[in-house]
Amino acid sequence: MNAIKALRILMTLAICVIAVMVGTALWDHYMLSPWTRDGRVRADVVAIAPDVAGLIADIPVHDNEYVHKGDLLMRIDDKRYQMAVDQAEAALKAADVERHLRKQEAARRAKLDSLVISKENRETTSSQAAAADAKYDAAQAALDVAKLNLERTEIHAPVDGYVTNFTAQVGDYASVGKPVLALINAHSYYILGYFEETKLPRVRAGDPVRIHMMDGEELTGRVQSVPRGITDQNDTVGRSMLANVNPTYNWVRLAQRIPVRISIDDLEHHPLIAGQTCTVVIKPGKQDTKQAAAAPAG
Amino acid sequence: MPREFALSGILFPSLIVVFVIAAAVTWIIDGLMARANLHRYVWHPPLFRLALFACLFGAGGLLLY
Repeated sequence: MNAIKALRILMTLAICVIAVMVGTALWDHYMLSPWTRDGRVRADVVAIAPDVAGLIADIPVHDNEYVHKGDLLMRIDDKRYQMAVDQAEAALKAADVERHLRKQEAARRAKLDSLVISKENRETTSSQAAAADAKYDAAQAALDVAKLNLERTEIHAPVDGYVTNFTAQVGDYASVGKPVLALINAHSYYILGYFEETKLPRVRAGDPVRIHMMDGEELTGRVQSVPRGITDQNDTVGRSMLANVNPTYNWVRLAQRIPVRISIDDLEHHPLIAGQTCTVVIKPGKQDTKQAAAAPAG
Repeated sequence: MPREFALSGILFPSLIVVFVIAAAVTWIIDGLMARANLHRYVWHPPLFRLALFACLFGAGGLLLY
């Protein structure tokens, strides 16, 4: 009877101990290991804005199309800019004629005796010749500007990428510096994992990462870098230049989230959409941290 | 198994599923033990049940993640 009683107590206590151990392991794993459901796919977006104003004459690309660096995205009606070049060319010609005239005048007067012509007159003509020279240079520069403007009526892709949210239409008026389309750099996709502050001690640059997309796809990557600053939400100024401090509870606090930048190993593996949600799991392996530490030295 | 499952567009942690399964398995094991009269080897049945559930849930969660 005593043996059974001892067995009863022993068995119950044993399973309790196992339960505590397993429970602690799960708690550690779930609450402390660096993973987050709050991950976002990000990409660099170039806001394409025309450098010259005008009516949009031609749009050879379509929404969501892949374009290579240098491809024509949009052409602005260039008639006015063509005319500006013609005008600048004419002005240059006029300046050239003027320059020659003043030069000849100055040369002729330089040769004349001071009995025939006053020193003042000679100086004036030589100054006029120099001014005409400068005017010619200015006309040349104006022509260059006009040519550049004409060139800039064609907007080319600055990077390989995807045209996105393209709403411009042929006939729209494009203003200088006002973006008309977004070009997503195709080689720039990365992941931002928003990690709680509490999990940051286990996040190290170089750690391998598994990325679970919401659509079920799985990617691999590496921790690229941990930022060194986020905005302090209390650091705002109210209307009368006084500090605007949010009230908080003394009892409970919420860990803020830090955006950790993660590079993706194989960008071609799966078509990514900037803004997609994903789960980010960092695997801080001891071997990998050793390798990462050894890499800069070697 | 993914870390979350979708229910009409809302994603829940898979740990909920593990929880339900662990509870069901605990209930079945408890029933079997009662039938085999194994409870006489247990000192404190409710404590035992709780510990059993914690073991199953913890093991399932660790396997999943």
